[in-house]
Amino acid sequence: MKNYKALMRNHLYLLISLLFFASCSNRTDTPVHKVYTVEIKQMQFQPAELTVQKGDTIIWINRDIVQHDVTEEKSKAWTSSPLLTGQSWTLVATENADYYCSIHQVMKGKLLVQ
Amino acid sequence: MKCIKPLVKWAGAAILYTMVMPSPAFSQQKPDLSDPEIASVAVAANQIDINYAEIAKEKSKNADILEFAQTMANDHKAVIAQAVALVTKLGVTPKDNAVTQKMQADAEKTKKMLRSKSGAAFNKAYIDNEVAYHKAVISAVEDLLIPESDNNELKELLQNVVPALKTHLMHAEMVQKKFSK
Ligand SMILES: [Cu+2]
Repeated sequence: MKNYKALMRNHLYLLISLLFFASCSNRTDTPVHKVYTVEIKQMQFQPAELTVQKGDTIIWINRDIVQHDVTEEKSKAWTSSPLLTGQSWTLVATENADYYCSIHQVMKGKLLVQ
Repeated sequence: MKCIKPLVKWAGAAILYTMVMPSPAFSQQKPDLSDPEIASVAVAANQIDINYAEIAKEKSKNADILEFAQTMANDHKAVIAQAVALVTKLGVTPKDNAVTQKMQADAEKTKKMLRSKSGAAFNKAYIDNEVAYHKAVISAVEDLLIPESDNNELKELLQNVVPALKTHLMHAEMVQKKFSK
Protein backbone atom coordinates (compact mmCIF):
# COMPACT_ATOMS: atom_id res chain seq x y z
CA MET A 1 0.00 0.00 0.00
CA LYS A 2 2.83 2.30 0.90
CA ASN A 3 4.54 1.50 -2.42
CA TYR A 4 1.37 2.20 -4.34
CA LYS A 5 1.06 5.66 -2.70
CA ALA A 6 4.68 6.47 -3.54
CA LEU A 7 4.12 5.36 -7.11
CA MET A 8 1.07 7.59 -7.42
CA ARG A 9 3.01 10.51 -5.97
CA ASN A 10 5.78 9.99 -8.53
CA HIS A 11 3.23 9.88 -11.32
CA LEU A 12 1.71 13.09 -10.04
CA TYR A 13 5.12 14.82 -10.01
CA LEU A 14 5.75 13.60 -13.53
CA LEU A 15 2.36 14.87 -14.65
CA ILE A 16 2.90 18.30 -13.07
CA SER A 17 6.38 18.67 -14.52
CA LEU A 18 5.11 17.63 -17.95
CA LEU A 19 2.35 20.23 -17.75
CA PHE A 20 4.90 22.81 -16.63
CA PHE A 21 7.22 22.14 -19.54
CA ALA A 22 4.32 22.00 -21.96
CA SER A 23 3.16 25.43 -20.89
CA CYS A 24 6.72 26.73 -21.20
CA SER A 25 7.20 25.49 -24.72
CA ASN A 26 3.76 26.87 -25.61
CA ARG A 27 4.93 30.31 -24.56
CA THR A 28 7.95 30.24 -26.86
CA ASP A 29 6.14 28.67 -29.84
CA THR A 30 3.39 31.28 -30.22
CA PRO A 31 4.83 34.82 -30.60
CA VAL A 32 2.95 37.12 -28.28
CA HIS A 33 4.54 40.35 -29.51
CA LYS A 34 4.06 41.62 -33.06
CA VAL A 35 6.30 43.82 -35.20
CA TYR A 36 4.80 46.76 -37.11
CA THR A 37 6.39 49.00 -39.75
CA VAL A 38 5.57 52.69 -40.27
CA GLU A 39 6.92 54.08 -43.54
CA ILE A 40 7.88 57.75 -43.74
CA LYS A 41 7.23 58.80 -47.33
CA GLN A 42 5.79 61.76 -49.22
CA MET A 43 6.22 63.74 -45.98
CA GLN A 44 3.81 61.49 -44.04
CA PHE A 45 3.89 58.72 -41.44
CA GLN A 46 2.12 55.79 -43.12
CA PRO A 47 0.01 54.70 -41.31
CA ALA A 48 -0.29 57.91 -39.30
CA GLU A 49 -2.30 56.15 -36.58
CA LEU A 50 -1.34 52.72 -35.30
CA THR A 51 -2.92 50.54 -32.59
CA VAL A 52 -0.62 47.94 -30.96
CA GLN A 53 -0.40 45.77 -27.84
CA LYS A 54 1.98 46.66 -25.02
CA GLY A 55 5.37 45.11 -25.81
CA ASP A 56 4.88 45.14 -29.60
CA THR A 57 7.73 46.53 -31.71
CA ILE A 58 7.33 49.42 -34.16
CA ILE A 59 9.92 50.12 -36.86
CA TRP A 60 9.90 53.51 -38.59
CA ILE A 61 11.77 53.65 -41.91
CA ASN A 62 12.56 56.80 -43.88
CA ARG A 63 11.71 56.33 -47.56
CA ASP A 64 11.88 60.06 -48.46
CA ILE A 65 14.78 61.96 -50.02
CA VAL A 66 14.92 64.38 -47.05
CA GLN A 67 15.79 63.71 -43.38
CA HIS A 68 13.06 63.08 -40.83
CA ASP A 69 12.87 62.11 -37.17
CA VAL A 70 10.31 60.43 -34.91
CA THR A 71 9.85 62.33 -31.64
CA GLU A 72 7.35 62.07 -28.76
CA GLU A 73 5.51 65.39 -28.95
CA LYS A 74 4.39 66.38 -25.42
CA SER A 75 7.56 65.97 -23.35
CA LYS A 76 10.11 64.74 -25.94
CA ALA A 77 10.18 61.50 -23.91
CA TRP A 78 11.86 59.71 -26.83
CA THR A 79 13.32 60.55 -30.23
CA SER A 80 14.91 58.67 -33.10
CA SER A 81 17.27 61.59 -33.87
CA PRO A 82 17.55 62.46 -37.60
CA LEU A 83 17.03 59.51 -39.97
CA LEU A 84 18.64 59.70 -43.41
CA THR A 85 17.06 58.10 -46.47
CA GLY A 86 16.81 54.35 -45.87
CA GLN A 87 17.58 54.52 -42.15
CA SER A 88 15.17 53.07 -39.59
CA TRP A 89 14.47 53.26 -35.88
CA THR A 90 12.79 50.84 -33.48
CA LEU A 91 10.63 51.36 -30.40
CA VAL A 92 8.99 48.83 -28.07
CA ALA A 93 5.53 50.18 -27.25
CA THR A 94 4.79 50.88 -23.60
CA GLU A 95 2.16 53.63 -23.62
CA ASN A 96 0.03 55.84 -25.86
CA ALA A 97 1.91 58.64 -27.60
CA ASP A 98 1.34 61.57 -29.92
CA TYR A 99 4.49 61.90 -31.96
CA TYR A 100 5.79 64.20 -34.71
CA CYS A 101 8.80 64.98 -36.88
CA SER A 102 10.68 67.75 -35.07
CA ILE A 103 12.33 68.72 -38.38
CA HIS A 104 8.96 69.19 -40.16
CA GLN A 105 6.72 70.02 -37.23
CA VAL A 106 3.46 69.64 -39.16
CA MET A 107 4.13 65.90 -39.72
CA LYS A 108 2.25 64.05 -36.97
CA GLY A 109 1.51 60.49 -35.89
CA LYS A 110 -0.35 58.64 -33.13
CA LEU A 111 0.44 55.45 -31.25
CA LEU A 112 -2.37 53.71 -29.35
CA VAL A 113 -1.15 51.03 -26.93
CA GLN A 114 -3.69 48.51 -25.60
CA MET B 1 -19.26 71.59 -62.80
CA LYS B 2 -16.74 69.61 -64.81
CA CYS B 3 -15.40 72.65 -66.63
CA ILE B 4 -14.95 74.78 -63.48
CA LYS B 5 -11.91 72.93 -62.09
CA PRO B 6 -9.72 73.33 -65.18
CA LEU B 7 -10.82 76.96 -65.37
CA VAL B 8 -9.69 77.61 -61.78
CA LYS B 9 -6.42 75.83 -62.48
CA TRP B 10 -5.93 77.84 -65.64
CA ALA B 11 -6.58 81.08 -63.75
CA GLY B 12 -4.04 80.10 -61.08
CA ALA B 13 -1.47 79.31 -63.73
CA ALA B 14 -2.17 82.59 -65.54
CA ILE B 15 -1.56 84.54 -62.33
CA LEU B 16 1.75 82.76 -61.84
CA TYR B 17 2.93 83.44 -65.37
CA THR B 18 2.25 87.13 -65.02
CA MET B 19 4.14 86.98 -61.70
CA VAL B 20 7.13 85.14 -63.15
CA MET B 21 6.88 86.83 -66.53
CA PRO B 22 5.54 90.36 -66.24
CA SER B 23 7.03 91.53 -69.53
CA PRO B 24 4.36 91.86 -72.27
CA ALA B 25 6.27 89.56 -74.60
CA PHE B 26 5.69 86.56 -72.32
CA SER B 27 2.55 87.37 -70.34
CA GLN B 28 0.21 86.32 -73.17
CA GLN B 29 1.28 82.69 -73.28
CA LYS B 30 2.97 80.19 -71.04
CA PRO B 31 6.72 79.95 -71.54
CA ASP B 32 7.87 77.02 -73.63
CA LEU B 33 10.58 75.21 -71.67
CA SER B 34 12.87 72.39 -72.75
CA ASP B 35 14.01 69.76 -70.22
CA PRO B 36 17.48 71.38 -69.80
CA GLU B 37 15.70 74.69 -69.09
CA ILE B 38 13.34 73.02 -66.59
CA ALA B 39 16.38 71.54 -64.82
CA SER B 40 17.88 75.04 -64.61
CA VAL B 41 14.66 76.50 -63.15
CA ALA B 42 14.38 73.65 -60.62
CA VAL B 43 17.96 74.01 -59.37
CA ALA B 44 17.65 77.83 -59.18
CA ALA B 45 14.35 77.66 -57.27
CA ASN B 46 15.96 75.42 -54.62
CA GLN B 47 19.19 77.41 -54.44
CA ILE B 48 17.27 80.67 -53.88
CA ASP B 49 15.60 79.26 -50.76
CA ILE B 50 18.97 77.97 -49.48
CA ASN B 51 20.31 81.53 -49.88
CA TYR B 52 17.36 82.99 -47.93
CA ALA B 53 18.06 80.43 -45.17
CA GLU B 54 21.70 81.51 -45.02
CA ILE B 55 20.64 85.13 -44.45
CA ALA B 56 18.30 83.97 -41.67
CA LYS B 57 21.12 82.03 -40.00
CA GLU B 58 23.27 85.18 -40.05
CA LYS B 59 20.61 87.61 -38.89
CA SER B 60 18.10 85.84 -36.62
CA LYS B 61 18.39 84.72 -33.01
CA ASN B 62 14.90 83.24 -32.84
CA ALA B 63 14.82 79.44 -32.35
CA ASP B 64 11.72 78.88 -34.55
CA ILE B 65 13.24 80.88 -37.42
CA LEU B 66 16.66 79.23 -37.08
CA GLU B 67 15.20 75.71 -36.98
CA PHE B 68 12.98 76.41 -39.97
CA ALA B 69 15.89 77.92 -41.93
CA GLN B 70 18.06 74.86 -41.18
CA THR B 71 15.31 72.54 -42.44
CA MET B 72 14.98 74.61 -45.64
CA ALA B 73 18.75 74.50 -46.24
CA ASN B 74 18.94 70.71 -45.67
CA ASP B 75 15.84 69.78 -47.67
CA HIS B 76 16.51 72.02 -50.67
CA LYS B 77 20.13 70.78 -50.78
CA ALA B 78 18.77 67.19 -50.86
CA VAL B 79 16.46 68.10 -53.76
CA ILE B 80 19.32 69.73 -55.71
CA ALA B 81 21.45 66.61 -55.13
CA GLN B 82 18.63 64.46 -56.59
CA ALA B 83 18.24 66.81 -59.58
CA VAL B 84 21.99 66.84 -60.25
CA ALA B 85 22.12 63.03 -60.03
CA LEU B 86 19.26 62.78 -62.55
CA VAL B 87 20.62 65.27 -65.12
CA THR B 88 24.03 63.60 -64.84
CA LYS B 89 22.42 60.21 -65.50
CA LEU B 90 20.42 61.62 -68.44
CA GLY B 91 23.44 63.52 -69.82
CA VAL B 92 21.51 66.81 -69.69
CA THR B 93 23.19 70.17 -68.96
CA PRO B 94 20.86 72.70 -67.22
CA LYS B 95 20.28 75.61 -69.61
CA ASP B 96 19.85 79.22 -68.50
CA ASN B 97 16.61 80.82 -69.66
CA ALA B 98 14.22 83.75 -69.11
CA VAL B 99 12.34 82.07 -66.22
CA THR B 100 15.55 81.30 -64.30
CA GLN B 101 16.82 84.85 -64.90
CA LYS B 102 13.55 86.43 -63.72
CA MET B 103 13.55 84.29 -60.56
CA GLN B 104 17.14 85.22 -59.79
CA ALA B 105 16.52 88.94 -60.38
CA ASP B 106 13.51 88.85 -58.02
CA ALA B 107 15.58 86.94 -55.44
CA GLU B 108 18.28 89.60 -55.51
CA LYS B 109 15.67 92.26 -54.63
CA THR B 110 14.26 90.07 -51.85
CA LYS B 111 17.72 89.41 -50.37
CA LYS B 112 18.42 93.16 -50.37
CA MET B 113 15.10 93.78 -48.58
CA LEU B 114 15.89 91.05 -45.99
CA ARG B 115 19.40 92.36 -45.36
CA SER B 116 18.00 95.84 -44.68
CA LYS B 117 15.98 94.54 -41.69
CA SER B 118 16.90 93.29 -38.24
CA GLY B 119 15.40 91.83 -35.06
CA ALA B 120 11.65 91.14 -35.01
CA ALA B 121 11.16 92.97 -38.33
CA PHE B 122 13.65 90.62 -39.99
CA ASN B 123 11.97 87.50 -38.54
CA LYS B 124 8.59 88.61 -39.83
CA ALA B 125 9.92 89.60 -43.27
CA TYR B 126 11.78 86.29 -43.62
CA ILE B 127 8.85 84.05 -42.71
CA ASP B 128 6.34 86.11 -44.74
CA ASN B 129 8.63 85.71 -47.76
CA GLU B 130 8.97 81.95 -47.12
CA VAL B 131 5.16 81.59 -47.22
CA ALA B 132 4.87 83.63 -50.43
CA TYR B 133 7.89 81.99 -52.07
CA HIS B 134 6.73 78.41 -51.39
CA LYS B 135 3.25 79.24 -52.76
CA ALA B 136 4.81 80.62 -55.96
CA VAL B 137 7.16 77.64 -56.36
CA ILE B 138 4.36 75.08 -55.78
CA SER B 139 2.33 76.76 -58.57
CA ALA B 140 5.37 76.92 -60.87
CA VAL B 141 6.17 73.21 -60.34
CA GLU B 142 2.56 71.97 -60.66
CA ASP B 143 1.33 74.21 -63.48
CA LEU B 144 4.48 74.86 -65.50
CA LEU B 145 7.43 72.55 -64.83
CA ILE B 146 5.56 69.21 -64.53
CA PRO B 147 3.35 69.73 -67.61
CA GLU B 148 6.32 71.05 -69.62
CA SER B 149 8.75 68.21 -68.87
CA ASP B 150 9.15 65.61 -71.60
CA ASN B 151 11.36 63.11 -69.77
CA ASN B 152 9.37 60.85 -67.43
CA GLU B 153 12.08 60.64 -64.78
CA LEU B 154 12.31 64.44 -64.66
CA LYS B 155 8.52 64.66 -64.37
CA GLU B 156 8.58 62.04 -61.58
CA LEU B 157 11.30 63.90 -59.65
CA LEU B 158 9.27 67.12 -59.82
CA GLN B 159 6.13 65.29 -58.68
CA ASN B 160 8.06 63.81 -55.73
CA VAL B 161 9.19 67.27 -54.63
CA VAL B 162 5.64 68.68 -54.36
CA PRO B 163 4.77 67.03 -50.97
CA ALA B 164 7.97 68.49 -49.43
CA LEU B 165 7.13 71.97 -50.77
CA LYS B 166 3.59 71.73 -49.38
CA THR B 167 4.88 70.59 -45.98
CA HIS B 168 7.35 73.50 -45.97
CA LEU B 169 4.46 75.88 -46.73
CA MET B 170 2.35 74.52 -43.82
CA HIS B 171 5.40 74.71 -41.52
CA ALA B 172 6.11 78.31 -42.64
CA GLU B 173 2.48 79.29 -42.04
CA MET B 174 2.67 77.76 -38.54
CA VAL B 175 5.79 79.80 -37.71
CA GLN B 176 4.28 82.90 -39.36
CA LYS B 177 1.36 82.82 -36.87
CA LYS B 178 3.83 83.34 -34.02
CA PHE B 179 5.10 86.57 -35.61
CA SER B 180 1.82 88.16 -36.69
CA LYS B 181 0.42 90.61 -34.19
CU1 LIG C 1 10.24 65.32 -41.32
